[in-house]
Amino acid sequence: MSDYAKAEEFGLADLLCCAASREVADNEIVFAGTGLPMVAIMLAQKTHAPNLKLIFEAGTLDGRPPEIPTSVGDARCEMGASRSSGLSDAFSIAQRGYVDLGYLGGAEVDVYGNVNTTCIGEYLNPELRLTGSGGNPDINSFAKRTVFIMVHEKRRFVENVSYITSPGWRVKKWPGGELVHRRELYGAAYRGGPSAVISTAGVFRFDDQSGRMFLDTCHPGKTAEEIREMCQFDLDISRVKGETEVPTREELRIIHEVLDPHEIFIPKIKQG
Amino acid sequence: MSDSKRITLQQAAEVVKNGSSLTFSGFTIWRRPFALVFELIRQQRRNLHLIEVNGGPHTEFLVGAGCVDIWESCWVGHELYGKYGANLSRKVANREIIVEDYSHAEMMFRFAAAAQGAAYAVTQTSLGTDIHNPEYDMLGRAGLRDGKRIAKHKYLFADDPFYGAGSQVLIPAPKVDIAVMCVQQVGEEGTVRVNGQYYSDPEAARTADITIVMAEEIVPEEYLRRNADINTIPSFEVDYILECPFGAHPTGMFGRYDVDGAFLKDFYARTRTQEGFDDFAKAWIHGLDHISYLEKLGWPRMLGLKANTALNYSPRATKGGK
Repeated sequence: MSDYAKAEEFGLADLLCCAASREVADNEIVFAGTGLPMVAIMLAQKTHAPNLKLIFEAGTLDGRPPEIPTSVGDARCEMGASRSSGLSDAFSIAQRGYVDLGYLGGAEVDVYGNVNTTCIGEYLNPELRLTGSGGNPDINSFAKRTVFIMVHEKRRFVENVSYITSPGWRVKKWPGGELVHRRELYGAAYRGGPSAVISTAGVFRFDDQSGRMFLDTCHPGKTAEEIREMCQFDLDISRVKGETEVPTREELRIIHEVLDPHEIFIPKIKQG
Repeated sequence: MSDSKRITLQQAAEVVKNGSSLTFSGFTIWRRPFALVFELIRQQRRNLHLIEVNGGPHTEFLVGAGCVDIWESCWVGHELYGKYGANLSRKVANREIIVEDYSHAEMMFRFAAAAQGAAYAVTQTSLGTDIHNPEYDMLGRAGLRDGKRIAKHKYLFADDPFYGAGSQVLIPAPKVDIAVMCVQQVGEEGTVRVNGQYYSDPEAARTADITIVMAEEIVPEEYLRRNADINTIPSFEVDYILECPFGAHPTGMFGRYDVDGAFLKDFYARTRTQEGFDDFAKAWIHGLDHISYLEKLGWPRMLGLKANTALNYSPRATKGGK
Protein backbone atom coordinates (compact mmCIF):
# COMPACT_ATOMS: atom_id res chain seq x y z
CA MET A 1 0.00 0.00 0.00
CA SER A 2 2.87 2.39 -0.62
CA ASP A 3 2.74 3.26 -4.29
CA TYR A 4 0.34 6.18 -3.87
CA ALA A 5 -1.06 7.89 -6.93
CA LYS A 6 -0.31 11.56 -7.55
CA ALA A 7 -3.11 14.13 -7.26
CA GLU A 8 -3.63 14.37 -11.01
CA GLU A 9 -3.99 10.59 -11.38
CA PHE A 10 -7.25 10.11 -9.48
CA GLY A 11 -10.66 11.71 -9.11
CA LEU A 12 -12.94 12.27 -6.13
CA ALA A 13 -14.92 9.11 -6.88
CA ASP A 14 -11.68 7.09 -6.79
CA LEU A 15 -10.76 8.62 -3.44
CA LEU A 16 -14.19 7.85 -1.97
CA CYS A 17 -14.13 4.32 -3.33
CA CYS A 18 -10.71 3.57 -1.81
CA ALA A 19 -11.58 5.21 1.53
CA ALA A 20 -14.74 3.10 1.68
CA SER A 21 -12.84 -0.03 0.72
CA ARG A 22 -10.44 0.49 3.66
CA GLU A 23 -13.31 0.32 6.16
CA VAL A 24 -13.64 -3.44 5.59
CA ALA A 25 -11.55 -6.05 7.36
CA ASP A 26 -10.88 -9.49 5.94
CA ASN A 27 -13.42 -12.25 6.73
CA GLU A 28 -16.20 -9.77 7.46
CA ILE A 29 -19.75 -10.21 6.21
CA VAL A 30 -20.73 -7.12 4.27
CA PHE A 31 -24.11 -5.90 3.03
CA ALA A 32 -23.72 -3.91 -0.18
CA GLY A 33 -26.02 -1.54 -1.99
CA THR A 34 -26.00 -0.44 -5.60
CA GLY A 35 -23.35 1.88 -7.02
CA LEU A 36 -20.08 3.10 -5.58
CA PRO A 37 -20.31 0.91 -2.43
CA MET A 38 -20.39 -2.17 -4.64
CA VAL A 39 -17.19 -1.09 -6.37
CA ALA A 40 -15.60 -0.33 -2.98
CA ILE A 41 -16.38 -3.76 -1.58
CA MET A 42 -15.28 -5.60 -4.68
CA LEU A 43 -12.06 -3.56 -4.53
CA ALA A 44 -11.54 -4.73 -0.94
CA GLN A 45 -12.27 -8.29 -2.09
CA LYS A 46 -9.47 -7.97 -4.65
CA THR A 47 -6.96 -6.31 -2.29
CA HIS A 48 -6.79 -6.55 1.51
CA ALA A 49 -9.96 -8.54 2.24
CA PRO A 50 -10.05 -11.55 -0.13
CA ASN A 51 -12.22 -13.56 2.27
CA LEU A 52 -14.96 -11.04 2.88
CA LYS A 53 -18.48 -12.33 2.30
CA LEU A 54 -20.80 -10.22 0.23
CA ILE A 55 -24.57 -10.13 0.71
CA PHE A 56 -26.88 -8.43 -1.75
CA GLU A 57 -30.26 -7.38 -0.39
CA ALA A 58 -32.20 -9.02 -3.22
CA GLY A 59 -31.04 -12.46 -2.10
CA THR A 60 -27.45 -13.24 -3.09
CA LEU A 61 -25.38 -14.75 -0.28
CA ASP A 62 -21.58 -14.71 -0.51
CA GLY A 63 -21.57 -13.46 -4.08
CA ARG A 64 -18.42 -13.16 -6.20
CA PRO A 65 -19.58 -11.18 -9.22
CA PRO A 66 -17.08 -11.15 -12.10
CA GLU A 67 -18.20 -7.69 -13.15
CA ILE A 68 -20.05 -4.86 -11.45
CA PRO A 69 -23.78 -5.48 -11.11
CA THR A 70 -25.93 -2.50 -12.09
CA SER A 71 -28.21 -3.11 -9.11
CA VAL A 72 -28.60 -5.72 -6.37
CA GLY A 73 -31.37 -7.49 -8.30
CA ASP A 74 -28.99 -8.00 -11.22
CA ALA A 75 -28.17 -11.40 -12.71
CA ARG A 76 -24.49 -10.40 -12.31
CA CYS A 77 -24.76 -10.55 -8.51
CA GLU A 78 -25.08 -14.26 -8.13
CA MET A 79 -22.24 -15.48 -10.34
CA GLY A 80 -20.06 -17.65 -8.11
CA ALA A 81 -22.34 -17.16 -5.11
CA SER A 82 -22.73 -19.61 -2.26
CA ARG A 83 -26.50 -19.31 -2.49
CA SER A 84 -29.00 -17.37 -4.53
CA SER A 85 -32.31 -16.84 -2.75
CA GLY A 86 -34.53 -13.96 -1.79
CA LEU A 87 -35.13 -11.02 0.50
CA SER A 88 -36.47 -13.10 3.34
CA ASP A 89 -33.05 -14.76 3.60
CA ALA A 90 -31.10 -11.52 3.29
CA PHE A 91 -33.07 -9.66 5.97
CA SER A 92 -33.31 -12.67 8.29
CA ILE A 93 -29.54 -12.99 8.15
CA ALA A 94 -29.20 -9.30 8.99
CA GLN A 95 -31.66 -9.48 11.90
CA ARG A 96 -29.98 -12.65 13.15
CA GLY A 97 -26.79 -10.62 13.57
CA TYR A 98 -24.48 -12.00 10.89
CA VAL A 99 -23.67 -8.67 9.25
CA ASP A 100 -20.47 -6.87 10.26
CA LEU A 101 -20.63 -3.94 7.92
CA GLY A 102 -23.15 -2.22 5.67
CA TYR A 103 -22.57 0.50 3.10
CA LEU A 104 -25.32 3.07 2.73
CA GLY A 105 -26.08 6.49 1.32
CA GLY A 106 -28.51 9.30 1.97
CA ALA A 107 -29.77 12.71 0.94
CA GLU A 108 -29.27 14.29 4.41
CA VAL A 109 -27.30 13.28 7.49
CA ASP A 110 -27.37 14.89 10.92
CA VAL A 111 -24.87 15.31 13.72
CA TYR A 112 -25.92 11.95 15.27
CA GLY A 113 -25.64 10.05 11.99
CA ASN A 114 -29.40 9.88 11.44
CA VAL A 115 -30.05 9.74 7.72
CA ASN A 116 -32.96 10.88 5.57
CA THR A 117 -33.77 9.29 2.21
CA THR A 118 -37.54 9.85 2.37
CA CYS A 119 -38.36 13.50 1.69
CA ILE A 120 -36.98 17.02 1.65
CA GLY A 121 -39.01 19.33 3.88
CA GLU A 122 -41.97 18.42 6.10
CA TYR A 123 -43.12 14.81 5.71
CA LEU A 124 -46.78 15.81 5.66
CA ASN A 125 -46.13 18.61 3.17
CA PRO A 126 -42.89 17.70 1.42
CA GLU A 127 -40.93 19.90 -0.95
CA LEU A 128 -39.70 16.75 -2.63
CA ARG A 129 -40.60 13.14 -2.06
CA LEU A 130 -37.50 10.94 -2.52
CA THR A 131 -37.13 7.18 -2.99
CA GLY A 132 -38.11 6.17 0.54
CA SER A 133 -36.19 4.01 2.95
CA GLY A 134 -35.37 0.91 0.96
CA GLY A 135 -33.20 -1.29 3.17
CA ASN A 136 -31.27 1.63 4.66
CA PRO A 137 -32.85 1.51 8.16
CA ASP A 138 -32.78 -2.28 8.21
CA ILE A 139 -29.08 -2.60 7.53
CA ASN A 140 -28.40 0.33 9.84
CA SER A 141 -30.47 -1.31 12.59
CA PHE A 142 -28.81 -4.70 12.42
CA ALA A 143 -25.19 -4.36 11.19
CA LYS A 144 -22.38 -3.91 13.68
CA ARG A 145 -21.03 -0.99 11.67
CA THR A 146 -22.36 1.09 8.82
CA VAL A 147 -20.50 3.44 6.51
CA PHE A 148 -22.32 6.24 4.70
CA ILE A 149 -21.04 7.61 1.40
CA MET A 150 -22.45 11.05 0.67
CA VAL A 151 -22.18 14.15 -1.46
CA HIS A 152 -21.05 16.96 0.84
CA GLU A 153 -23.18 20.09 0.68
CA LYS A 154 -24.10 22.36 3.56
CA ARG A 155 -27.82 21.69 3.05
CA ARG A 156 -27.18 17.95 3.45
CA PHE A 157 -25.18 18.11 6.74
CA VAL A 158 -27.77 19.32 9.24
CA GLU A 159 -28.27 19.46 13.03
CA ASN A 160 -31.39 17.28 12.84
CA VAL A 161 -32.73 15.63 9.70
CA SER A 162 -36.33 16.52 8.90
CA TYR A 163 -37.24 12.81 8.77
CA ILE A 164 -35.21 10.01 10.34
CA THR A 165 -35.30 7.28 7.72
CA SER A 166 -32.33 5.41 9.12
CA PRO A 167 -31.25 5.32 12.78
CA GLY A 168 -28.03 6.98 13.95
CA TRP A 169 -26.68 7.18 17.50
CA ARG A 170 -29.44 9.28 19.05
CA VAL A 171 -32.88 8.37 17.76
CA LYS A 172 -36.54 9.06 18.51
CA LYS A 173 -38.34 7.28 21.29
CA TRP A 174 -42.02 6.99 20.47
CA PRO A 175 -44.70 8.05 21.13
CA GLY A 176 -43.09 11.29 22.32
CA GLY A 177 -40.20 11.44 19.87
CA GLU A 178 -37.53 12.55 22.38
CA LEU A 179 -33.94 11.71 21.35
CA VAL A 180 -32.35 8.80 23.23
CA HIS A 181 -29.23 6.73 22.65
CA ARG A 182 -30.07 3.87 20.29
CA ARG A 183 -28.86 1.35 22.89
CA GLU A 184 -31.96 2.20 24.94
CA LEU A 185 -34.31 1.16 22.16
CA TYR A 186 -32.65 -1.81 20.54
CA GLY A 187 -32.17 -3.96 23.62
CA ALA A 188 -30.73 -7.35 22.70
CA ALA A 189 -30.56 -6.31 19.04
CA TYR A 190 -28.12 -3.49 19.81
CA ARG A 191 -24.88 -4.23 17.99
CA GLY A 192 -23.48 -0.84 17.01
CA GLY A 193 -24.34 1.82 14.46
CA PRO A 194 -22.86 4.27 12.00
CA SER A 195 -19.07 4.11 12.21
CA ALA A 196 -18.08 6.50 9.44
CA VAL A 197 -19.43 9.03 6.98
CA ILE A 198 -17.29 9.38 3.89
CA SER A 199 -18.31 12.56 2.11
CA THR A 200 -16.86 14.33 -0.89
CA ALA A 201 -15.01 16.59 1.63
CA GLY A 202 -13.68 14.28 4.33
CA VAL A 203 -14.11 11.27 6.57
CA PHE A 204 -16.19 11.65 9.74
CA ARG A 205 -16.64 9.42 12.79
CA PHE A 206 -18.78 9.47 15.92
CA ASP A 207 -17.95 10.09 19.58
CA ASP A 208 -18.61 7.00 21.73
CA GLN A 209 -20.27 8.96 24.52
CA SER A 210 -22.20 11.79 22.88
CA GLY A 211 -22.85 10.06 19.56
CA ARG A 212 -21.89 13.32 17.82
CA MET A 213 -20.00 13.43 14.54
CA PHE A 214 -16.41 14.61 14.42
CA LEU A 215 -13.99 15.16 11.55
CA ASP A 216 -11.42 12.40 11.22
CA THR A 217 -9.53 13.19 7.98
CA CYS A 218 -9.74 15.88 5.30
CA HIS A 219 -9.65 14.98 1.63
CA PRO A 220 -6.62 16.44 -0.21
CA GLY A 221 -7.09 20.15 -0.87
CA LYS A 222 -9.64 20.70 1.93
CA THR A 223 -8.92 22.24 5.34
CA ALA A 224 -10.75 21.34 8.55
CA GLU A 225 -12.08 24.90 8.83
CA GLU A 226 -13.47 24.75 5.30
CA ILE A 227 -15.20 21.46 6.08
CA ARG A 228 -16.66 22.86 9.32
CA GLU A 229 -18.14 25.66 7.23
CA MET A 230 -19.80 23.03 5.05
CA CYS A 231 -21.93 21.76 7.97
CA GLN A 232 -25.02 23.34 9.51
CA PHE A 233 -24.04 21.99 12.93
CA ASP A 234 -20.96 22.81 14.99
CA LEU A 235 -18.55 20.17 13.68
CA ASP A 236 -15.85 19.01 16.10
CA ILE A 237 -12.54 19.45 14.24
CA SER A 238 -10.30 18.98 17.30
CA ARG A 239 -9.54 15.34 16.53
CA VAL A 240 -8.45 15.57 12.89
CA LYS A 241 -5.73 13.04 12.13
CA GLY A 242 -4.63 14.57 8.84
CA GLU A 243 -5.32 13.89 5.20
CA THR A 244 -7.46 11.03 3.86
CA GLU A 245 -5.22 8.27 2.52
CA VAL A 246 -5.13 8.59 -1.26
CA PRO A 247 -5.57 5.69 -3.73
CA THR A 248 -2.63 3.56 -4.72
CA ARG A 249 -1.85 2.97 -8.39
CA GLU A 250 -2.79 -0.70 -7.92
CA GLU A 251 -6.21 0.25 -6.52
CA LEU A 252 -6.82 2.58 -9.47
CA ARG A 253 -5.83 -0.17 -11.87
CA ILE A 254 -8.29 -2.60 -10.29
CA ILE A 255 -11.12 -0.05 -10.27
CA HIS A 256 -10.70 1.04 -13.88
CA GLU A 257 -9.37 -2.05 -15.61
CA VAL A 258 -11.05 -4.86 -13.70
CA LEU A 259 -14.13 -3.67 -11.84
CA ASP A 260 -15.65 -0.78 -13.73
CA PRO A 261 -13.96 -0.58 -17.14
CA HIS A 262 -17.10 0.86 -18.72
CA GLU A 263 -17.29 3.73 -16.19
CA ILE A 264 -20.76 2.78 -15.05
CA PHE A 265 -20.17 4.16 -11.55
CA ILE A 266 -16.65 5.64 -11.50
CA PRO A 267 -15.43 7.95 -14.27
CA LYS A 268 -11.85 7.76 -15.45
CA ILE A 269 -9.65 10.79 -15.01
CA LYS A 270 -8.56 12.24 -18.32
CA GLN A 271 -4.88 13.02 -18.06
CA GLY A 272 -2.63 15.19 -20.16
CA MET B 1 -57.51 -29.83 -17.50
CA SER B 2 -54.16 -28.75 -18.85
CA ASP B 3 -55.41 -25.52 -20.40
CA SER B 4 -57.86 -24.56 -17.67
CA LYS B 5 -55.66 -21.86 -16.11
CA ARG B 6 -54.71 -20.20 -19.38
CA ILE B 7 -56.04 -16.73 -20.03
CA THR B 8 -55.14 -13.84 -22.32
CA LEU B 9 -53.39 -10.64 -21.31
CA GLN B 10 -56.66 -8.73 -21.65
CA GLN B 11 -58.46 -11.26 -19.44
CA ALA B 12 -55.64 -11.14 -16.89
CA ALA B 13 -56.00 -7.37 -16.62
CA GLU B 14 -59.75 -7.82 -16.18
CA VAL B 15 -59.15 -9.99 -13.10
CA VAL B 16 -57.87 -6.79 -11.46
CA LYS B 17 -60.85 -4.64 -10.49
CA ASN B 18 -61.09 -0.98 -9.63
CA GLY B 19 -60.09 -0.79 -5.97
CA SER B 20 -58.16 -4.08 -5.90
CA SER B 21 -55.09 -4.46 -3.70
CA LEU B 22 -52.16 -5.64 -5.80
CA THR B 23 -48.63 -6.89 -5.46
CA PHE B 24 -45.99 -7.97 -7.97
CA SER B 25 -43.04 -10.25 -8.53
CA GLY B 26 -39.53 -8.91 -8.91
CA PHE B 27 -37.18 -6.47 -7.33
CA THR B 28 -36.82 -2.77 -8.28
CA ILE B 29 -35.91 -3.01 -12.01
CA TRP B 30 -36.04 -6.79 -12.40
CA ARG B 31 -38.88 -9.15 -13.41
CA ARG B 32 -41.81 -6.73 -13.19
CA PRO B 33 -45.00 -7.79 -15.04
CA PHE B 34 -44.92 -4.87 -17.47
CA ALA B 35 -47.11 -6.24 -20.26
CA LEU B 36 -49.93 -6.53 -17.73
CA VAL B 37 -49.15 -3.16 -16.16
CA PHE B 38 -49.47 -1.55 -19.62
CA GLU B 39 -52.75 -3.41 -20.17
CA LEU B 40 -54.12 -2.12 -16.83
CA ILE B 41 -53.28 1.40 -17.98
CA ARG B 42 -55.01 0.81 -21.33
CA GLN B 43 -58.08 -0.50 -19.51
CA GLN B 44 -57.98 2.59 -17.25
CA ARG B 45 -58.08 0.67 -13.98
CA ARG B 46 -58.58 3.04 -11.03
CA ASN B 47 -58.30 3.27 -7.21
CA LEU B 48 -55.70 0.53 -6.90
CA HIS B 49 -53.96 -0.14 -3.58
CA LEU B 50 -50.40 -1.27 -4.29
CA ILE B 51 -48.77 -3.21 -1.46
CA GLU B 52 -45.19 -3.92 -2.46
CA VAL B 53 -42.03 -5.17 -0.77
CA ASN B 54 -40.35 -2.59 -3.02
CA GLY B 55 -41.51 -0.50 -5.95
CA GLY B 56 -39.92 0.32 -9.28
CA PRO B 57 -40.63 1.54 -12.81
CA HIS B 58 -43.93 -0.40 -12.90
CA THR B 59 -45.09 1.58 -9.85
CA GLU B 60 -44.15 4.78 -11.62
CA PHE B 61 -46.16 3.84 -14.73
CA LEU B 62 -49.29 2.91 -12.75
CA VAL B 63 -49.01 5.98 -10.54
CA GLY B 64 -48.32 8.31 -13.47
CA ALA B 65 -51.38 6.95 -15.29
CA GLY B 66 -53.61 7.73 -12.32
CA CYS B 67 -54.42 4.08 -11.55
CA VAL B 68 -53.25 4.18 -7.91
CA ASP B 69 -54.88 5.66 -4.80
CA ILE B 70 -52.64 4.07 -2.15
CA TRP B 71 -49.00 3.01 -2.34
CA GLU B 72 -47.79 1.03 0.66
CA SER B 73 -44.12 0.14 0.41
CA CYS B 74 -40.60 1.40 1.08
CA TRP B 75 -38.83 2.44 -2.10
CA VAL B 76 -39.47 3.61 -5.62
CA GLY B 77 -37.00 4.62 -8.32
CA HIS B 78 -35.12 3.25 -11.31
CA GLU B 79 -31.79 2.34 -9.65
CA LEU B 80 -28.97 3.90 -11.69
CA TYR B 81 -31.34 4.88 -14.51
CA GLY B 82 -33.35 7.39 -12.50
CA LYS B 83 -32.80 8.60 -8.94
CA TYR B 84 -36.33 8.59 -7.60
CA GLY B 85 -39.93 8.09 -8.60
CA ALA B 86 -40.79 11.42 -10.18
CA ASN B 87 -44.43 10.50 -10.84
CA LEU B 88 -45.02 9.42 -7.26
CA SER B 89 -43.24 12.56 -6.08
CA ARG B 90 -45.52 14.76 -8.15
CA LYS B 91 -48.67 13.00 -6.93
CA VAL B 92 -47.49 13.24 -3.30
CA ALA B 93 -46.89 16.99 -3.71
CA ASN B 94 -50.39 17.38 -5.24
CA ARG B 95 -51.95 15.17 -2.54
CA GLU B 96 -53.31 12.86 -5.21
CA ILE B 97 -52.03 9.68 -3.58
CA ILE B 98 -51.65 8.19 -0.11
CA VAL B 99 -48.19 6.85 0.68
CA GLU B 100 -47.71 4.54 3.67
CA ASP B 101 -44.01 4.11 4.47
CA TYR B 102 -42.54 0.99 6.02
CA SER B 103 -38.93 -0.19 5.91
CA HIS B 104 -37.82 -2.79 3.38
CA ALA B 105 -37.37 -5.54 5.98
CA GLU B 106 -40.70 -4.61 7.54
CA MET B 107 -42.43 -5.06 4.18
CA MET B 108 -40.65 -8.38 3.65
CA PHE B 109 -41.50 -9.65 7.14
CA ARG B 110 -45.12 -8.50 6.70
CA PHE B 111 -45.43 -10.59 3.53
CA ALA B 112 -43.70 -13.53 5.20
CA ALA B 113 -46.31 -13.35 7.99
CA ALA B 114 -49.18 -13.09 5.52
CA ALA B 115 -47.80 -16.06 3.59
CA GLN B 116 -47.82 -18.08 6.82
CA GLY B 117 -51.38 -17.07 7.55
CA ALA B 118 -50.13 -15.22 10.65
CA ALA B 119 -51.78 -12.00 11.73
CA TYR B 120 -48.62 -9.99 12.14
CA ALA B 121 -44.84 -10.05 12.15
CA VAL B 122 -42.49 -9.15 15.00
CA THR B 123 -39.18 -7.38 14.40
CA GLN B 124 -36.70 -4.91 15.85
CA THR B 125 -35.84 -3.14 12.64
CA SER B 126 -36.07 0.62 12.20
CA LEU B 127 -36.65 1.41 15.89
CA GLY B 128 -36.20 5.11 16.59
CA THR B 129 -37.00 6.25 13.05
CA ASP B 130 -39.83 8.40 11.73
CA ILE B 131 -41.29 5.30 10.07
CA HIS B 132 -42.81 4.78 13.55
CA ASN B 133 -43.83 8.41 14.05
CA PRO B 134 -47.49 8.11 15.14
CA GLU B 135 -48.29 11.33 13.26
CA TYR B 136 -47.22 9.68 10.01
CA ASP B 137 -49.81 6.89 9.91
CA MET B 138 -51.23 8.02 6.59
CA LEU B 139 -53.95 5.37 6.18
CA GLY B 140 -55.04 6.17 9.72
CA ARG B 141 -55.11 9.89 8.96
CA ALA B 142 -57.29 9.13 5.92
CA GLY B 143 -59.71 7.11 8.10
CA LEU B 144 -59.09 3.94 6.09
CA ARG B 145 -58.04 1.60 8.92
CA ASP B 146 -61.21 -0.50 9.05
CA GLY B 147 -59.58 -3.63 10.50
CA LYS B 148 -60.88 -5.66 7.54
CA ARG B 149 -58.69 -5.29 4.45
CA ILE B 150 -56.57 -2.56 6.06
CA ALA B 151 -55.14 -3.22 9.54
CA LYS B 152 -56.45 -1.23 12.52
CA HIS B 153 -52.94 0.02 13.31
CA LYS B 154 -49.89 0.77 11.17
CA TYR B 155 -47.74 -0.87 13.88
CA LEU B 156 -47.72 -1.44 17.64
CA PHE B 157 -44.84 -1.69 20.10
CA ALA B 158 -44.48 -4.52 22.61
CA ASP B 159 -41.68 -5.56 24.95
CA ASP B 160 -40.37 -9.06 24.42
CA PRO B 161 -42.32 -11.08 27.02
CA PHE B 162 -40.19 -14.23 26.59
CA TYR B 163 -36.51 -13.29 26.83
CA GLY B 164 -36.61 -9.61 27.76
CA ALA B 165 -34.88 -8.73 24.49
CA GLY B 166 -36.40 -5.26 24.52
CA SER B 167 -38.74 -3.25 22.35
CA GLN B 168 -40.37 -5.06 19.44
CA VAL B 169 -42.45 -3.73 16.56
CA LEU B 170 -45.58 -5.64 15.59
CA ILE B 171 -46.50 -5.01 11.98
CA PRO B 172 -49.66 -6.30 10.33
CA ALA B 173 -49.74 -8.98 7.62
CA PRO B 174 -51.12 -7.31 4.47
CA LYS B 175 -54.36 -8.43 2.82
CA VAL B 176 -53.65 -8.68 -0.88
CA ASP B 177 -56.30 -9.44 -3.50
CA ILE B 178 -54.03 -10.22 -6.45
CA ALA B 179 -50.37 -11.00 -7.08
CA VAL B 180 -49.11 -10.62 -10.63
CA MET B 181 -45.92 -12.56 -11.23
CA CYS B 182 -43.53 -12.34 -14.15
CA VAL B 183 -41.24 -15.37 -14.38
CA GLN B 184 -39.20 -17.48 -16.76
CA GLN B 185 -41.29 -20.65 -16.76
CA VAL B 186 -44.70 -21.85 -15.67
CA GLY B 187 -46.18 -25.31 -16.20
CA GLU B 188 -49.65 -25.93 -17.59
CA GLU B 189 -50.91 -26.66 -14.08
CA GLY B 190 -49.25 -23.59 -12.57
CA THR B 191 -45.94 -24.80 -11.17
CA VAL B 192 -43.47 -21.93 -11.34
CA ARG B 193 -39.73 -22.13 -11.84
CA VAL B 194 -37.91 -18.89 -11.20
CA ASN B 195 -34.28 -18.77 -12.32
CA GLY B 196 -31.92 -16.59 -10.34
CA GLN B 197 -32.76 -14.67 -7.17
CA TYR B 198 -36.44 -15.21 -6.39
CA TYR B 199 -36.67 -11.94 -4.40
CA SER B 200 -39.99 -12.01 -2.49
CA ASP B 201 -41.95 -13.96 -5.12
CA PRO B 202 -42.83 -17.06 -3.05
CA GLU B 203 -44.30 -14.92 -0.25
CA ALA B 204 -46.16 -12.66 -2.71
CA ALA B 205 -47.83 -15.61 -4.47
CA ARG B 206 -48.81 -17.30 -1.21
CA THR B 207 -50.14 -14.08 0.33
CA ALA B 208 -52.47 -13.03 -2.46
CA ASP B 209 -56.00 -14.41 -2.79
CA ILE B 210 -55.54 -14.69 -6.56
CA THR B 211 -52.21 -15.28 -8.28
CA ILE B 212 -51.67 -14.58 -11.97
CA VAL B 213 -48.46 -15.86 -13.52
CA MET B 214 -47.12 -14.29 -16.69
CA ALA B 215 -44.23 -16.37 -18.04
CA GLU B 216 -41.69 -16.11 -20.81
CA GLU B 217 -42.85 -19.59 -21.70
CA ILE B 218 -45.47 -22.11 -20.67
CA VAL B 219 -43.73 -25.47 -20.51
CA PRO B 220 -45.04 -29.03 -20.08
CA GLU B 221 -45.90 -29.50 -16.41
CA GLU B 222 -44.12 -32.86 -16.32
CA TYR B 223 -40.87 -31.18 -17.45
CA LEU B 224 -40.88 -29.03 -14.28
CA ARG B 225 -41.92 -31.97 -12.11
CA ARG B 226 -38.84 -33.94 -13.10
CA ASN B 227 -36.83 -31.56 -10.88
CA ALA B 228 -39.30 -30.43 -8.25
CA ASP B 229 -36.47 -29.40 -5.94
CA ILE B 230 -35.65 -26.39 -8.12
CA ASN B 231 -39.23 -25.16 -8.55
CA THR B 232 -40.30 -21.99 -6.76
CA ILE B 233 -44.09 -21.90 -6.43
CA PRO B 234 -46.43 -24.93 -6.23
CA SER B 235 -49.15 -25.41 -8.83
CA PHE B 236 -52.18 -24.89 -6.60
CA GLU B 237 -51.12 -21.41 -5.49
CA VAL B 238 -51.47 -20.23 -9.07
CA ASP B 239 -54.92 -19.39 -10.45
CA TYR B 240 -54.19 -18.10 -13.94
CA ILE B 241 -51.31 -18.44 -16.36
CA LEU B 242 -50.35 -16.75 -19.58
CA GLU B 243 -47.41 -16.84 -21.93
CA CYS B 244 -45.93 -13.44 -22.62
CA PRO B 245 -42.38 -13.34 -24.02
CA PHE B 246 -40.40 -10.22 -23.09
CA GLY B 247 -43.29 -9.38 -20.77
CA ALA B 248 -40.98 -7.76 -18.22
CA HIS B 249 -39.47 -5.21 -20.62
CA PRO B 250 -38.17 -2.54 -19.83
CA THR B 251 -37.17 -4.39 -16.63
CA GLY B 252 -34.81 -7.36 -16.89
CA MET B 253 -35.15 -11.10 -16.47
CA PHE B 254 -32.35 -13.36 -15.24
CA GLY B 255 -31.10 -15.63 -18.00
CA ARG B 256 -33.36 -14.07 -20.62
CA TYR B 257 -32.72 -10.33 -21.08
CA ASP B 258 -31.19 -7.36 -19.31
CA VAL B 259 -32.80 -4.19 -18.04
CA ASP B 260 -33.37 -1.67 -20.86
CA GLY B 261 -31.53 1.18 -19.16
CA ALA B 262 -31.95 3.59 -22.07
CA PHE B 263 -35.73 3.11 -21.99
CA LEU B 264 -35.90 3.73 -18.23
CA LYS B 265 -33.63 6.80 -18.47
CA ASP B 266 -35.84 8.21 -21.19
CA PHE B 267 -38.98 7.52 -19.13
CA TYR B 268 -37.44 9.17 -16.05
CA ALA B 269 -36.33 12.24 -18.03
CA ARG B 270 -39.61 12.70 -19.87
CA THR B 271 -42.23 12.05 -17.19
CA ARG B 272 -41.45 14.68 -14.54
CA THR B 273 -44.67 16.45 -15.52
CA GLN B 274 -48.12 14.95 -16.11
CA GLU B 275 -48.05 16.21 -19.71
CA GLY B 276 -44.73 14.42 -20.14
CA PHE B 277 -46.20 11.21 -18.76
CA ASP B 278 -49.27 11.47 -20.96
CA ASP B 279 -47.09 11.93 -24.05
CA PHE B 280 -44.95 8.96 -23.08
CA ALA B 281 -48.04 6.80 -22.51
CA LYS B 282 -49.43 7.87 -25.88
CA ALA B 283 -46.21 6.79 -27.59
CA TRP B 284 -45.61 3.51 -25.75
CA ILE B 285 -48.88 2.24 -24.25
CA HIS B 286 -52.11 3.49 -25.78
CA GLY B 287 -53.12 2.10 -29.14
CA LEU B 288 -50.61 -0.73 -28.83
CA ASP B 289 -50.82 -4.32 -27.70
CA HIS B 290 -47.91 -6.43 -26.48
CA ILE B 291 -46.86 -7.55 -29.97
CA SER B 292 -47.00 -4.09 -31.49
CA TYR B 293 -45.05 -2.79 -28.49
CA LEU B 294 -42.32 -5.34 -29.22
CA GLU B 295 -42.46 -4.42 -32.90
CA LYS B 296 -41.94 -0.79 -31.98
CA LEU B 297 -38.94 -1.69 -29.83
CA GLY B 298 -37.52 -3.69 -32.73
CA TRP B 299 -35.16 -6.62 -33.11
CA PRO B 300 -31.83 -4.77 -32.83
CA ARG B 301 -32.76 -3.28 -29.47
CA MET B 302 -34.00 -6.59 -28.07
CA LEU B 303 -30.94 -8.48 -29.34
CA GLY B 304 -28.74 -6.01 -27.47
CA LEU B 305 -30.56 -6.96 -24.26
CA LYS B 306 -30.64 -10.70 -24.84
CA ALA B 307 -28.80 -12.59 -22.11
CA ASN B 308 -25.84 -14.80 -22.83
CA THR B 309 -27.02 -18.27 -21.80
CA ALA B 310 -23.77 -19.09 -19.98
CA LEU B 311 -23.62 -15.80 -18.05
CA ASN B 312 -27.37 -15.20 -17.61
CA TYR B 313 -26.92 -11.52 -18.46
CA SER B 314 -26.01 -9.55 -21.56
CA PRO B 315 -22.36 -8.45 -21.76
CA ARG B 316 -23.45 -6.06 -24.52
CA ALA B 317 -25.87 -4.34 -22.15
CA THR B 318 -23.05 -3.79 -19.63
CA LYS B 319 -21.15 -1.72 -22.15
CA GLY B 320 -24.21 0.35 -22.90
CA GLY B 321 -25.05 0.68 -19.23
CA LYS B 322 -23.32 3.99 -18.83
